[in-house]
Amino acid sequence: MFRLMLTTALAALPLYASAQEITVGAANVSSYLDPGRDHSNVGSQFYYNSFDTLIDRDHSKLDPEWTPALATSWELIEPTVMELKLREGVTFHNGEEMTADDVVFSLNRMMQATFPPYVVRAKDRLANFPKAEKVDDYTVRIHAAREEPLWETLISLQQVMIIPEDYTKALTGDPDVAEDSDYEAFALAPVGTGPYRVAEFQPGEKLVWERFDDFWGEQAPLRRVNVVQISETASRMTALRTGEADIITNIAPDQLSLIERDPELKTAGSATALFHVMIMNQNHPKLEDPRIRQAMSLAIDRDALNEALWLGKAVVPSTHTMAEMGALHQPDLVTFEYDPERARALLDEAGYDGFEITFDTASSYYTNGLLAAQAITQMWADGGLNGKVVVSDTWTGGSPDLMARNWSNPMYFADPFGSFGVMWAPEGPSQSEGRFNTDEAYADSWERFRYSTDVETRKAAYRELMERVKEDPAVLPLYRPFESWGMKKSIDWAPMPGHIPYVLDFRAGNITVAGS
Amino acid sequence: MIAYLARISVKSVVTLFAIVTVTFIATRLSGNPIDTFLGDGLTAEGRAELIRYFQLDGTLWQQYVAFLRGVVSGEFGLSFVDRRPVTQVVGERLWASGQLLLASVTLTILVAIPLGILAAIYRKSWIGSAVMTVAFAGYAVPSFILAILMVLVFSYWLNWLPVVGNGSFLHFIMPTIAMSGVLVAALTRFTRNAMLDVLGQDFIRTARAKGLSEARVVLRHGLGNAGVTVISVIGLQVAGLAAAGSVVVESIFSWPGIGQLLVNAALIRDYPVLQFGVITVAVAVVAINALTDVAYALADPRIRLARS
Repeated sequence: MFRLMLTTALAALPLYASAQEITVGAANVSSYLDPGRDHSNVGSQFYYNSFDTLIDRDHSKLDPEWTPALATSWELIEPTVMELKLREGVTFHNGEEMTADDVVFSLNRMMQATFPPYVVRAKDRLANFPKAEKVDDYTVRIHAAREEPLWETLISLQQVMIIPEDYTKALTGDPDVAEDSDYEAFALAPVGTGPYRVAEFQPGEKLVWERFDDFWGEQAPLRRVNVVQISETASRMTALRTGEADIITNIAPDQLSLIERDPELKTAGSATALFHVMIMNQNHPKLEDPRIRQAMSLAIDRDALNEALWLGKAVVPSTHTMAEMGALHQPDLVTFEYDPERARALLDEAGYDGFEITFDTASSYYTNGLLAAQAITQMWADGGLNGKVVVSDTWTGGSPDLMARNWSNPMYFADPFGSFGVMWAPEGPSQSEGRFNTDEAYADSWERFRYSTDVETRKAAYRELMERVKEDPAVLPLYRPFESWGMKKSIDWAPMPGHIPYVLDFRAGNITVAGS
Repeated sequence: MIAYLARISVKSVVTLFAIVTVTFIATRLSGNPIDTFLGDGLTAEGRAELIRYFQLDGTLWQQYVAFLRGVVSGEFGLSFVDRRPVTQVVGERLWASGQLLLASVTLTILVAIPLGILAAIYRKSWIGSAVMTVAFAGYAVPSFILAILMVLVFSYWLNWLPVVGNGSFLHFIMPTIAMSGVLVAALTRFTRNAMLDVLGQDFIRTARAKGLSEARVVLRHGLGNAGVTVISVIGLQVAGLAAAGSVVVESIFSWPGIGQLLVNAALIRDYPVLQFGVITVAVAVVAINALTDVAYALADPRIRLARS
């Protein structure tokens, strides 16, 4: 009897596993798949299933716990040189074996980028790494220009996921040379080492993953995943109900109850590791007095915005910080507050004469963006400011006429450098657009924050930066928007705290589908 | 007839040129792809680098001239996003849209013409009134309302019909009805009116006096003559449908056609896709109009003769 049960169980096991196929209804399917050039919210959904980094982390945890991935061990052999031992027997989806050549190629395509879309993304976060080099087939070294406090963090970026060298170079033109067109072709026929291979990809329409049987780690739990673009929210919700989709993405807060009322369905969500922010132009002639910008910031009741627009599910920060930033997270530091009295007083002091302050927003780029803009100008009116919403799809962040507008500061990687540090670095995006000024003192604080290898020094330097922003405001983080997914009750999946926003992680242990 | 065709051709080319130019200018004034899909956090320098890479660094005039050169030589460029030739990007969507259009037109003709005839014959009875009431109501309901209502009833509540994609016959039902709704209403009314005009004419009385069966009178002599009007209405409405109706319906039903492609391209300002997509739709509309003119001329010798 026991034997019979055992054989039945054994026979059923692979059957059970092979029946695992799901369909994801996504608001957006990427138009290209290249982890190197992409840093969009749409793209970040898709890379982790098909690509690996050298070092990974336990994504179920907020605090980083680094785990071996394509590298099995790593150590600093000099203060600025890291040596990594590569995992042997790793195969790419096209059957080629991964060696140090592929790793060096993948890293240097970013670290020594020539393809313009790589160049612009590598500069802000990988600037400290001049090159990677091969030692032998399973050993590579990565060189840093200066001592680097964030080695593991930066080596585990999506942008430096590993792709095959020979395959990529041979896609177009000369098979021995990496041309721009090779990278463009790769983005339509991506090949990685992850647990799912891209079996079918129709840009902006459909993506099909199939389990990659030669994956080096634990086998993927799903045999096949179809991701289809369903842009209309109502259609997405209906598709979930009709069973055409098993999981759907991007559900607005006011739609959640519709799904939760259905006994067959449930939702999962989290406050996204991304800030919707208001930016203010320090160099606009009428806003040069910081007291006016302080008042613009102090007059905004962000908790009220959260309650009204996000049903209280968003997270309002006390400073430009998030729990995901681990040791550098400083929730006790308060640099952004709601104080309309003080706003009025500051306006009086500054001699504000009631001139109009424009707040630019696109019509639908950010969820609730337009509503927030309207609410903010109303709050300004209560605080004594004369605000006006200007709706335009044109980016005005680089215009000298900009007064205020909405923007987002995503967390590209789990460190303040991956969020505030990218956007507000000296000579970074904000300064280069002419709406944010830095001086030597700021640059000095920034240096210590970016490069000190002592955590306490970094924290103190970050506090200095936050105080500077408070005194002479150029940004106010409004909230971390709440993002939700809907799914059948039989599916166990949720966004994981150790990922950057929006990652659909379907690796072993991170999704289960019951009783198919 | 040749002069007539030549005139239609010249008219068509001028129309296309105007559409292409307006599209070019409108897309470029409304924002650029660097800001809309390449994401946040570029430095001014990085932005400039990408603008060069995508060849958006010339003046509007230079870009326009380059674009026209491309059009003339048949080079429509690469999509900014997936970097494939736009002819391919649009081309692979053409069939899905064409199928839907064909299905809608067929459904429209099969439903509207009999209804219109019915309404004309029974214009004084409740049948005529009922048909016309439904037609008026149908004309007042925009396709997206009809689509959403059907989705609510047949998918969300009853779970009979799928809402995503074009995989099977069942997938065609709701999009086809949504696309044809307004068209059926319009064509029914036109058919009825045209039939009423014709049925009151002397030659119909003659036909009846000859002792022809009523069916023969209505179908052969009535519809045969009303047909001229009906053809022109079908032409115009189909053209309008190809241009506008599909955008909404394709978005709602995630139909992988040109309409949905254009919406996405417009949102992220993928100029080359947008331009070529609009050109494709415009060519289709102009072609349908030209064909209508020709059909009109063939059906009615008076037009053909008077114009040449």
